[in-house]
Amino acid sequence: MQKHRSFETSGNVLRPTTPPDIASQSQRQRIVDGMVESCAEKTYAGTTITDIVSRAHISRTTFYKHFEDKRACFDAAIDYCVGELQDVAATAHSPADPPGDAARKAATAVVGALAAKPGLAQVLTGDAMAVDPQVIERYRRATIPALEALWSENGDAPAAHTDPRLAFGQAQVLILNQIATGKPDRLLELLPEIVYLTVSPYGGHEEAVRQSREAGNSEIRGVAAR
Amino acid sequence: MTDNPEDLRQWRLPRGRHGLPRELVERSQRERLLAAVVRVTVANGYEKTTVGDILGEAGVGRESFYELFDDKLDCMLAAHKILADDLEERVRVDYLGEGPWPERVRHSLATTLDWFAADPEAARFFLVELSTVGPAFRATFKSEYSRFTALLDEGLEEDGPDPELSGAAQMAVGAIVARIYEEVVLGRAAELRGLLPELTYGFLVPFVGEEDARGEQERARD
Repeated sequence: MQKHRSFETSGNVLRPTTPPDIASQSQRQRIVDGMVESCAEKTYAGTTITDIVSRAHISRTTFYKHFEDKRACFDAAIDYCVGELQDVAATAHSPADPPGDAARKAATAVVGALAAKPGLAQVLTGDAMAVDPQVIERYRRATIPALEALWSENGDAPAAHTDPRLAFGQAQVLILNQIATGKPDRLLELLPEIVYLTVSPYGGHEEAVRQSREAGNSEIRGVAAR
Repeated sequence: MTDNPEDLRQWRLPRGRHGLPRELVERSQRERLLAAVVRVTVANGYEKTTVGDILGEAGVGRESFYELFDDKLDCMLAAHKILADDLEERVRVDYLGEGPWPERVRHSLATTLDWFAADPEAARFFLVELSTVGPAFRATFKSEYSRFTALLDEGLEEDGPDPELSGAAQMAVGAIVARIYEEVVLGRAAELRGLLPELTYGFLVPFVGEEDARGEQERARD
């Protein structure tokens, strides 16, 4: 009872049963979601604090409790989007998968997630490039080692057939180009190319073509099944 | 007066270095405004740039500006289009010229790298500033991407390889954009020519496989 009373006195009278740190966490996440949604619709440059707070259903004061400015909120949105895609990629394959298969499954899951939530794609490609081009390096550092690890044997780094950094940049540009059509669901059409670019650096061209065809075929089967 | 890409391009180069005659440099207010928007947005960033900044740089009056352009964005997109037209024209000459396809690819890549390296300010305007204009960026990016993919396909028709992947042309254009973009962002546009071997390789692999691409990469080192 003592605890309960302390909530009420701390001003959290509307939701007295929600611990304040959880309420604050969910507020912060709502703000980040608001940022991502607004970027998807009108890009970062076109997004105002008003857009974000109205989507998040919070006040401007609350916004500024969590973030210093729009840019700080955007940095949090980038971290959130990168984290989401990393989770999606990591859970898409199992340790038993050969590396090429694992990379194909991870790439397929990531493209699916981007198509389902186009705000992720907008934040990570067009807007990241506009706000801070060097941020690309930040998430390249997060993704390339994961890819490399799939082909590592006994802790030895695999030899690269093509430059993984270039492949990453290409994938990003292709996604950017596709969302520029204004039809984010068409991101799925890029699956063969994204799989190729994911597999080719460490798996080589031949394997990448094979995996790309496999991904294209399963996508066609998926469309036919719908 | 028409927009002559050659003149605009020279105008954008540092004055004095090329000793351009004054009458050529000041041929039209439109050209001066287009050249000014490139310099001013690179210096200030698109958001902070005002029409007044462009006028000051160009030495042109406000009335004349609004006779020629709707607003700052319109002026910026017009300059962007002239640059894209100029680049395409130059690449077209090499790419659809004489010689086997991989060699023509190598030559047009060299031309592309040189084009960006010749004027790092314009390179930054062309690749980086455009992405900061908001929603208008999407349509422009899309249409310019398509035109270079179409050019690539055009040259493949004659004697190019039949790629194993239908999206090879899209990936190849993506390789050029991604790689040059990165160097420009890092302020290394002037040294772009050094990328020719690796870019030739990265461009060609999806079309011809690693071995043949390696051969052309070696020739690009010479």
